[in-house]
Amino acid sequence: MSTAVPDQGNPTGGPRRPRRPQAMALALVLVLALAAAVLLGYRLAGPGTPSDTSPEAGFARDMQTHHNQAVQMALMLRDKGPEPTLAAVAYDIITSQQQQSGQMYAWLSMWRLPQTSTQPAMAWMAANPAVHDMGAMPTGAATAPGSGSMLLPDGRMPGMASPADLRTLQSSSGKDAETLFLKLMIQHHTAGIAMARAIQPLTDRPEVLTLAQAVVSAQAAEIDQMKTLLAAKGG
Amino acid sequence: MSPSSSSKADRQAARDRVAAMRREQQTKERRRKAWIYGGATAAVLAIAAVVTITIVREQAAKPSLDAVQSYTVKQGHVSTAVSYEQTPPAGGEHAPVWLNCATYAKPVPNENAVHAMEHGAVWVTYRPDLPAAQVEQLRTAIPDTYTVLSPYPGIKAPVVASAWGKQLALTGPDDPRLAAFVRAYRQGPQTPEQGAACTGGTDGSGPAPGTSGPGT
Repeated sequence: MSTAVPDQGNPTGGPRRPRRPQAMALALVLVLALAAAVLLGYRLAGPGTPSDTSPEAGFARDMQTHHNQAVQMALMLRDKGPEPTLAAVAYDIITSQQQQSGQMYAWLSMWRLPQTSTQPAMAWMAANPAVHDMGAMPTGAATAPGSGSMLLPDGRMPGMASPADLRTLQSSSGKDAETLFLKLMIQHHTAGIAMARAIQPLTDRPEVLTLAQAVVSAQAAEIDQMKTLLAAKGG
Repeated sequence: MSPSSSSKADRQAARDRVAAMRREQQTKERRRKAWIYGGATAAVLAIAAVVTITIVREQAAKPSLDAVQSYTVKQGHVSTAVSYEQTPPAGGEHAPVWLNCATYAKPVPNENAVHAMEHGAVWVTYRPDLPAAQVEQLRTAIPDTYTVLSPYPGIKAPVVASAWGKQLALTGPDDPRLAAFVRAYRQGPQTPEQGAACTGGTDGSGPAPGTSGPGT
């Protein structure tokens, strides 16, 4: 019987309970198992912020790339001295999208994640069946066949202007430049809205939801305006 | 034998039996405890092993960036050629216009490329005799934005990756540390001007503000 074990754990002589090795051992195992579970859980889930491969991190990285190109194209157009309405559209895109890009940069910093992903662009969307029906994605071309990827065959994200498009925009002027800008930016915004919609069911983080909704609202309004401007130019 | 000695013997026998039973019981008790403590120890060791393996695997999967050289470099704009302490430069004073992030087939001006690194770019340079297939491998291994890829004559390794204040000599496009370097330093925390653009600058073809670039 366990009564044979001297009770060393109760020197004050209070109500003596026989020491129970089973209980001691069980408690030890439970404590260690708990510690291990906490450690593993912390490593796997992170301290309450999105993980490196989370949809939020993927969105923050890919949407920055997307926004930065919109800023780049709008700056190219502004440098050409476009007509006043279009100059205002470009100014709006430059300032608002640069600011949003900075927000997403800061999220990743605060989440202690690198700006660079280990995964291909858009993997956070492609991996999720709920958003896999990307019929709304205006790619202008088929995505890479059979890859399950949403990228264009040359690796671009949908809606992004190609290097050739950018060179053409850079070298064009006058009405040609304005028309090309509108076409490229309408395509760019349409894909941007699709990406912003895709993150909405995948996150409950307020900062991400707020920005995603702002992208959807602002860019939808800008598409309407740009379509009107394009029609007026006979484009 | 007297009755008393007989009963004494009986008592002795009884004591022996009790002692034997007690020994047996103590043996059982020891065995039982051995099982409990042994089992508990085994369980704890198993958990410790799982945790250790998880952590070690995670660490082992990460290529080491221990060989990255760190430099304290000057910041500032100059319109003259700059003599850089590292080859290729890992930061320093630079031209007012930054190099656009892109893939270049020819060497680019140092002074513009350094400005791009100040904006968060990783500059991947390779020896001009690197086979075309390996150059293509480098191009696809790095992101399209916030990276510059260009040949650089006379570098100390087949491929050298640089970022502002950081540099790593690589064995080639297969070196797993390339991806780790890009991930750590492309728009990394060492970037002096986070969020600054790597577009809208120069493609290096115009009149170079500085002329210390290789081959120029």
